[in-house]
Amino acid sequence: MSLSKSSSFISAAFACWMCWGSMGCTMKSKLEPSNTLHLVAEEKIKGLDPIYADDLYAGTQVSQVYEGLLQYHYLKRPYVLIPNLAESLPEVSQDGLTYTFHLKKGVLFQDDPSFKKSQGKGREMTAEDVIYSFKRLADPRLSSSGWWLFDGKIMGLNEWHQSAMQVATTDYSQVVEGLKALDRYTVQIKLIQRSAQFLYSMAMPFTGIVPHEAIEEYGKEFINHAVGTGPYQLAEYSPNSKIVWVKSPTYRSEVYPLEGSAGDQEAGLLEDAGKSLPLADKIVIQVFVERQPMWLNFLSGKLDTTAIPKDNFSSAITPNKELSEEISSKGIRLTKSPSLDITHISFNMSDPLIGKNKLLRQALSLAYDEATFIDLFYNGRAIQAQGPIPPGISGYDPTFKNPYRQFNVAKAKELLAKAGYPEGKGLPNIEYVTTADSVGRQESEYLTKIMSTIGVTLKVNSYSWPQLQEAIKNKKAHLWSFAWSADYPDAENFLQVFYSKNASPGPNDSNYTNLQFDRLYEKSLTLSESAERTALYKKMVSLLVEDCPWIFRSHRLGYTLIQPWLKNYKSNDFDHGHYKYYRIDTKIKK
Amino acid sequence: MTTQVAAVEVIRVVSSEKAVRGRSLWRDAFYRLKKDRIAIFCLSVVGLYSLIALAAKFGWIASPWDKVVGAPYLAPSLDSIELFLGTDIFGRSVFYKVIQGTRIAMSVGLVSSLISIPIGVFFGALAGYFRGWVDDLIVWFYTTVSSIPNIMLLIAIAFIMGKGITSIYVALGITAWVSLARVIRGEFIKHKSREYVLAAESLGAGHASRIFKHILPNVSHFIIINLSIQFMSAIKSEVILSFLGLGVQGQPSWGVMIDDARLELSRGVWWQLAGATVAMFFVVLAFNILGDSLRDSLDPKIK
Amino acid sequence: MLPYIFRKLLSTIPTLFGVALIVFILFNMVGGDPTYQMLGRHANAKQVEELRHEYGFDQPKYIQFGQYLKQIITFDYGRSYATKQPINQMIKDGIGPSLSLMIPSFFITTLLAVSLGLLVAYFRGKWIDKLVVILSVFGMSVSMLAYILFGQYFLAYKLGWFPISGYETAWPDRLQYLLMPMIIFVVVSLGYDVRFYRTAILEETSQDYVRTARAKGLTESRIFFKHVLKNSMIPILTNIVIEIPLLILGAFLLESFFGIPGLGSITIDAVHNSDFPVIKAMTTLDAILFILGNLATDIMYTLVDPRVSLK
Repeated sequence: MSLSKSSSFISAAFACWMCWGSMGCTMKSKLEPSNTLHLVAEEKIKGLDPIYADDLYAGTQVSQVYEGLLQYHYLKRPYVLIPNLAESLPEVSQDGLTYTFHLKKGVLFQDDPSFKKSQGKGREMTAEDVIYSFKRLADPRLSSSGWWLFDGKIMGLNEWHQSAMQVATTDYSQVVEGLKALDRYTVQIKLIQRSAQFLYSMAMPFTGIVPHEAIEEYGKEFINHAVGTGPYQLAEYSPNSKIVWVKSPTYRSEVYPLEGSAGDQEAGLLEDAGKSLPLADKIVIQVFVERQPMWLNFLSGKLDTTAIPKDNFSSAITPNKELSEEISSKGIRLTKSPSLDITHISFNMSDPLIGKNKLLRQALSLAYDEATFIDLFYNGRAIQAQGPIPPGISGYDPTFKNPYRQFNVAKAKELLAKAGYPEGKGLPNIEYVTTADSVGRQESEYLTKIMSTIGVTLKVNSYSWPQLQEAIKNKKAHLWSFAWSADYPDAENFLQVFYSKNASPGPNDSNYTNLQFDRLYEKSLTLSESAERTALYKKMVSLLVEDCPWIFRSHRLGYTLIQPWLKNYKSNDFDHGHYKYYRIDTKIKK
Repeated sequence: MTTQVAAVEVIRVVSSEKAVRGRSLWRDAFYRLKKDRIAIFCLSVVGLYSLIALAAKFGWIASPWDKVVGAPYLAPSLDSIELFLGTDIFGRSVFYKVIQGTRIAMSVGLVSSLISIPIGVFFGALAGYFRGWVDDLIVWFYTTVSSIPNIMLLIAIAFIMGKGITSIYVALGITAWVSLARVIRGEFIKHKSREYVLAAESLGAGHASRIFKHILPNVSHFIIINLSIQFMSAIKSEVILSFLGLGVQGQPSWGVMIDDARLELSRGVWWQLAGATVAMFFVVLAFNILGDSLRDSLDPKIK
Repeated sequence: MLPYIFRKLLSTIPTLFGVALIVFILFNMVGGDPTYQMLGRHANAKQVEELRHEYGFDQPKYIQFGQYLKQIITFDYGRSYATKQPINQMIKDGIGPSLSLMIPSFFITTLLAVSLGLLVAYFRGKWIDKLVVILSVFGMSVSMLAYILFGQYFLAYKLGWFPISGYETAWPDRLQYLLMPMIIFVVVSLGYDVRFYRTAILEETSQDYVRTARAKGLTESRIFFKHVLKNSMIPILTNIVIEIPLLILGAFLLESFFGIPGLGSITIDAVHNSDFPVIKAMTTLDAILFILGNLATDIMYTLVDPRVSLK
């Protein structure tokens, strides 16, 4: 064997690759319809069963094939619920406890071999399917991450959940008082107490309607199948790398919205008004775990849209937050939109050191410089938070200034001294827990530096995500950073994380307990949007501001880049099923 | 450096071996190593890195490394030594971080070797010397350890110990002893029945004396060879650990700098990656070549 | 021969048991409770308890260990906690992508390394020896992470020579995505292999029979190609055989960055998610492959070298 032989082998291999590569390209362009969307999932997909769709990435994929009774209007802001599988918004009884939904007639499930009676033809979706799908959320054997939506809310459902625990297999035929199919097209839901937020749950991916045949056929493998009523049908599914959706031939007739919010007309978002959905024939979703390849693929035109990763911001956006020359010359557009979320540092209120010393928490809150953080880590893409409720939701007060969130080292030192630790003397090290990744490490470096300015020493412990959660849910750490984003556009969703009955392992991870807060919260649940409720929200926020269970950090702005050929993009916090509105302008994209 | 073809060289080595008989293995090796100019150069590189590491450790140079010297992400410039390699996200000098990273890298290499070598020698010597059930047990143990993917062991140990440089020392040390133990065991088996050991035994030398005083010095060159390889692989492994989020916390390390580049490179910030990569390149290269030269001059098998 | 193989196979049982024990202890101590992640952020205490019961986390440790041993024997690890996929299916799906990256990479590396090893051993001490050794060591002295970042940014994005990342199941298309990771693999691993093979061949040249052959007056090239080469094939083949089973496991850095859905990226995800069933399965699979590699080497030795007895 000689060197020349092996090098000629390599050049031969290289030549082969070159011709294969070019062949590949031509073959691909023949196969793929020109109006194919190329989109991104930033995490691997956890599966396509709606009852586990608790993150954005799984939620978005699930929503291409499964639909709920309601959905959010694509264009209108503030967010408005409109019917999806329901014919209209439900009738609500006088006492506000009984909801009656009338379903659309003639909605078909996609064709699938599991429909044996009809030789694989999809059958009509009925009220029984709705009842069945909702019961799955409550099935203890399935451990759905969406059970909280219905837990303690629907009459008889918790009893059904309990009794299912006792028997070997869950009995779906056992009737639940609060979930009834009155006829083929009518569903009646009875609540235990009034809930202003209940209807939102009908528009979440969790409550997508599934056919029992598919679940009986595929069992646990159902997570890898998709048999819904939605606009797209699954063509290829590798949850770790790629998902391909194609237009469902049996999708009912739905049209692009005829009206929108102010400015939508001008932005060209109504050009397709009245056209039948979905607009794109095919969607190719690529999974990108690493940011660098995602960004580079977008810049080379392989992706239609992308959020801007933190560290690509300065190359994409000029200091005045507009697009850089290099990018705008390619015709790429930028959209900015506030996201309904809050980032925060939680104090563990059940910890004897942190939880019992309000002055200490207030001092730390005052010392925390968020403005610099926003510049360094979000490239200025965030609004400093004053309380838990983000702008865009009723209960947010733009004029309110949180006295403990005005960066002030002198005052922080003063409060620290009052708390019993002048210049940090006598204060034990405070344990900050974070995730073991680059961003977690950089953030903790920043926080350590900030806290050392008032003499407080942080001990940083970084963990894997499950370990971090274990530490927090078992009330072990002192401080940690988290973000909370809205499940639905209501301040209640942000205030529930301070309700004492939601303490760890529930969503109230700071284990905040305040009976006065609890009473106000419970009262607010029964009220629908009104001045009275907004006043309650304000009162609750003022309690939180004083008690300081969190350092309220920021509400982030989403910056999304869009290729010139992608039409009808509007940023959206909730509507996971928005791909059906996207269109590729084939004249621009060659 | 010689210019003879292989065969002639073999003869030359054989004859030179005769000529230097009587000199100890070490002096002999040193004699040969000294003639290898590349090896001497590599040794100097390692020495230089060690000096830098020591100077950084005592704060004589590149200190304090976490001082803000300019705006975030300044590009490299020749204006000042601090800005020679630009700045990082917090405006700290990348050049200083590279220098301080040398300290971390050298200490990771050194400490992890200091952990792995005694373990490897201890188990290898016991197994090779006593044979029997001791051997079976130790061989079983190291076969088991080496059957578990290294990366899994590293991750598990780093997680158990918590984050920080100590756990990196331990994790790299504990995963690296197997190959040395294997070699030492083999050598002990060979040496145990050699004349000099038998002679020592008949003169009344005990087990400990035979292991440590007689056999060990005769196999110690394997330890030196292993040291240079272990040093290098520890420095490289630190990068992988950093990528997995198990890297050094709160101190500048090359691994953390390269990991940061994952987010920074596409915004055009190449200097952290370049600084750390170049710094690492030379020392790893030096250890690599040095390891080879050491093996060539110390291992009697390929004289 | 057969009884020998059988005895060797039996002797792997204690090793497997040891692996199981160590993996169980390590990852039970570090695990991190996957329950909270599985239930999402709204979970309540009761639900956590139910799930822990459902998955048997509340069982005593020795029973959990017993179940693990049973899983090893039946090779049925159930489902992943994180993705809820059956693990056997995940492994089956991951082998293809991993192998399609690793087999060509390994083939090219070995071919190059053996050729270069022979070349430099033949010209030992000459400038070409030094040059090749130093060049191949150059390759391995840069972190693979640095190669990946650089390759994706400059070679793929700036120069457009390769796709940045991605994966295609269809065949001719798949190759273009694999090319850059392959090159990186070869560059990084060549150095080690070249030096290993060089040493193996040189060890052979200092054997007694070479001196004897030389004394008999055989020419140098005849000695080298007829005798040295033949005999040094044993360590070379050993090195190759022992690495082959491990190819299945893929390369986790390359797979995560280039979006190749192989076993390497599955393993790293599992560690990040404390996905204990997947960790157990992958580690055991790895150990079994490693042991098989060793076994194959032993058997090969007995076939090639009659001096190794079959006791």
